[in-house]
Amino acid sequence: MQRGYWIRSKPLYDSLVWQTPAVAHLVIAGGEGGIAVLKLFQQMYPKDPIQVLYTDLATANKNYSDILQQIVPEELELCDSEESLLNNLEQRLKDCTMGTHFYVAGSEAFMWHVLQKTRAAGVQDVDVQKELCGTLARPVYCVHCKTITRDVHHNVFPCSNCGRHLFVRDHFSRRLGAYMGVMVDAEEPGNIPQIEEVYP
Amino acid sequence: MNTPAFKKETFRDDYTFRNSPEAIRRFPFPFAEDEYMYSVNIEQHVSTNPGSVFEHAIDIDEHYIAECEDRRLTLERDPTRYIALPHMMDAQWDMVELIMESLSADYPQWFELTKNGDQWHWVNKPLEIDQTFTFGDTSTLPMEPFEYISRQVQGDWIIMDHRDDDLFADMGMVTSQADWSIAFDAGMSFKEWHGPVPQANEIGIFDRALKYLLHLQYGSPVRRLNWTMTVNPRLDTSPEEFPLWGPDNASVTPENVGEKVHLRVELQALFRLPRSNAIAFSVRGYLISLDELVTYPKWAKRLRRVLTNLHPDLSEYKGLDLYRQTVIDWLEPLEDGAELSLGTQPE
Amino acid sequence: MSILNVRVAEIEQVTDVVKHFTLVEENGRPLPRFSGGSHVVVSMNINGRIHRNPYSLMGSPENTDSYHISVRRQEKSRGGSVFMHDGVKVGSELQITYPVNLFSLSKLGKKHILVAGGIGITPFMSQIADLNRLGDDYEMHYAFRSAEHGAFVEQLKQMCGDRLHLHIESEGQRINFQNLLSNQPLGTHIYVCGPEPMVNALLLTAKDLGWPKTHVHSEQFLAPPIGESFMVQLAKSNMEIEVPGDMSMLEAMEEAGLEPDFLCRGGACGRCEVEVLECDGALMHNDHYLSDAEKASGNKIMPCVSRARCQKLLLNI
Repeated sequence: MQRGYWIRSKPLYDSLVWQTPAVAHLVIAGGEGGIAVLKLFQQMYPKDPIQVLYTDLATANKNYSDILQQIVPEELELCDSEESLLNNLEQRLKDCTMGTHFYVAGSEAFMWHVLQKTRAAGVQDVDVQKELCGTLARPVYCVHCKTITRDVHHNVFPCSNCGRHLFVRDHFSRRLGAYMGVMVDAEEPGNIPQIEEVYP
Repeated sequence: MNTPAFKKETFRDDYTFRNSPEAIRRFPFPFAEDEYMYSVNIEQHVSTNPGSVFEHAIDIDEHYIAECEDRRLTLERDPTRYIALPHMMDAQWDMVELIMESLSADYPQWFELTKNGDQWHWVNKPLEIDQTFTFGDTSTLPMEPFEYISRQVQGDWIIMDHRDDDLFADMGMVTSQADWSIAFDAGMSFKEWHGPVPQANEIGIFDRALKYLLHLQYGSPVRRLNWTMTVNPRLDTSPEEFPLWGPDNASVTPENVGEKVHLRVELQALFRLPRSNAIAFSVRGYLISLDELVTYPKWAKRLRRVLTNLHPDLSEYKGLDLYRQTVIDWLEPLEDGAELSLGTQPE
Repeated sequence: MSILNVRVAEIEQVTDVVKHFTLVEENGRPLPRFSGGSHVVVSMNINGRIHRNPYSLMGSPENTDSYHISVRRQEKSRGGSVFMHDGVKVGSELQITYPVNLFSLSKLGKKHILVAGGIGITPFMSQIADLNRLGDDYEMHYAFRSAEHGAFVEQLKQMCGDRLHLHIESEGQRINFQNLLSNQPLGTHIYVCGPEPMVNALLLTAKDLGWPKTHVHSEQFLAPPIGESFMVQLAKSNMEIEVPGDMSMLEAMEEAGLEPDFLCRGGACGRCEVEVLECDGALMHNDHYLSDAEKASGNKIMPCVSRARCQKLLLNI
């Protein structure tokens, strides 16, 4: 990687900070995203209504349901899977009004699943605060068979659907919530570069 | 323009694509100087030089039928090369209007459009299409309006929605691209979409290009040229099909380079659309084999000089690394060191 | 810039200060289609001097037989609106630009709230036609001083039905922005056009209620303010011109035979931006386009509405 290089299509992830003024706040986190929620509640938090949606994730190294239950003083709903969290979110979005601020934390794959829900409800991606937590693993879209492999840790990996060895291109689609994966040995079949864990 | 006989030829498998001498003469050679820099170089898309590719808003040439057929084959294998996000319906009809009006006005011998209020009658003689439909009523066409009309025109089309002082690639028909994917890039903002282009963001090109395009006016389209190289006259050099065409990049030898390697020039034109306020970005590709190109010595010498001076990042980005030196070596005997006239004209 | 030659086909006195002009192409050909919220710039030859004012197109975008603009008579201004009222007759010929849209509806909007004050109603007339055609959810809020100032109310009632909300100030009906902006569903976009205090009040309320900027849209074309005359040196054209008090820099450049780029002529779009190479006094920025930081840096100026108070001003044009 050179100096001055960055993935221009990739959004910047930041630390969650309460956004005011607002009429309400909805915080959505999964797995290691729990730490970002705890950090939020260490800040002076706003008087407006706050809701927190959280789920433990099997893929996470550390989960936060227990500690969140003790510490979050506001309305907290613990879901038992990402799927049930997303369904719960979809329902809640129907009752949200303009002026509600949104916060999301977790792995890149988790965050972009959440953002697909908020986007469908009319919230623009740029208006959602995002914090990447726990892992640099990338969701990768296989441009050949059009499936997304979640949580890719290596520069080159076999597609979970078609098995082609994919190189992860530095190009990110917010609509798909994934990086582009392109067959690495198409020019010279079998010539696969050394596989390294680059997204721990 | 002389009426070309539409050629029966292929852009895959046996690759029977060839340019006639007339098509070579009007080829939009992109290098006016010996050095190439990535730049925006935009000019008004007005009619210039009768017979040239710049004569009409949308150029129809001898490859028309074959290119439409190649698009049909690509879509049959992979329908995701066409996408229109739901909020782009006005832009879909804008495109029907732009293409039908432009083709019927510029090529009345092949295309006819008759309007009676919203009742439109479209005749496309080369493709043997005769369609009556109600403008604005999707149910009167056999498929979505933009897919319908973009199957009847050469080149790729990307339609950008204009909102929040930015442009979003929210609709496209892309089957002859230089290694990018509309299925992947759909919905991206202008700068996200151009993210992978090296050497450009650093010099502020996209900021200026975006600002310029946000001010693009209906009735005043603009154009620029871009270029890359392709092994074999393949239109569908998509990332989707990289496993198919990737091996070709390693197949270039000093013996076959003249026949295999093609310069691929994109005539990019941008039109503001009236109903949707979107911007249509047309990317029309022209292919020429090196054997065909060197029939004009000026082009041969200039191409060699440009490739020799090309920045390594751009060479990599354009996918030329595996065969660039072979091309330079093959052009070497034609180089006499003479100073070449500025400009892109063949002589 | 593409130009259209039009003829005035009809003039209607809508209120005591508003006239509505129907324009047709000089040879009766169809005019270009446009999108809701578009404007054209009308050129007027007033005693040998060319004035150019932007006016919103208020007819239905589907009607390409004629364009419709409305002009409010502004007595204390530089004469463009007075000329439109007194000098332009049925049959008069005018030049207009192709339509440009700097106030378009967001296609991602799930609901649209349109807020107009007075003559600010005009860009919404064409937007409503688009919203009706697309079947989108919207509310139209229209505030004006008193019943006799409510231009186009009957037409709006027909177009909007119960989506229209009138706020007549003389009857004590002010728009309560706090209420209007509360409890709106996600995906709502709001659009405002009207007098500056009204626009500012709405923008402030939206901010206070946590609306993201991406959902709040305003259109304010400023008339070039009258000021003191000053001299400008133009580096590329190698000339020096005087900008009289009642002329903008852009107009003074045009008067001198230059053809600078422009779109809105009201400090909104940024098209006419010029680089300032040297200034020994103060730039008086009047536009909405440059950021505060850009204004403070003094490197750029919008010659359509901004002026300078200095001995020497050198522009890169």
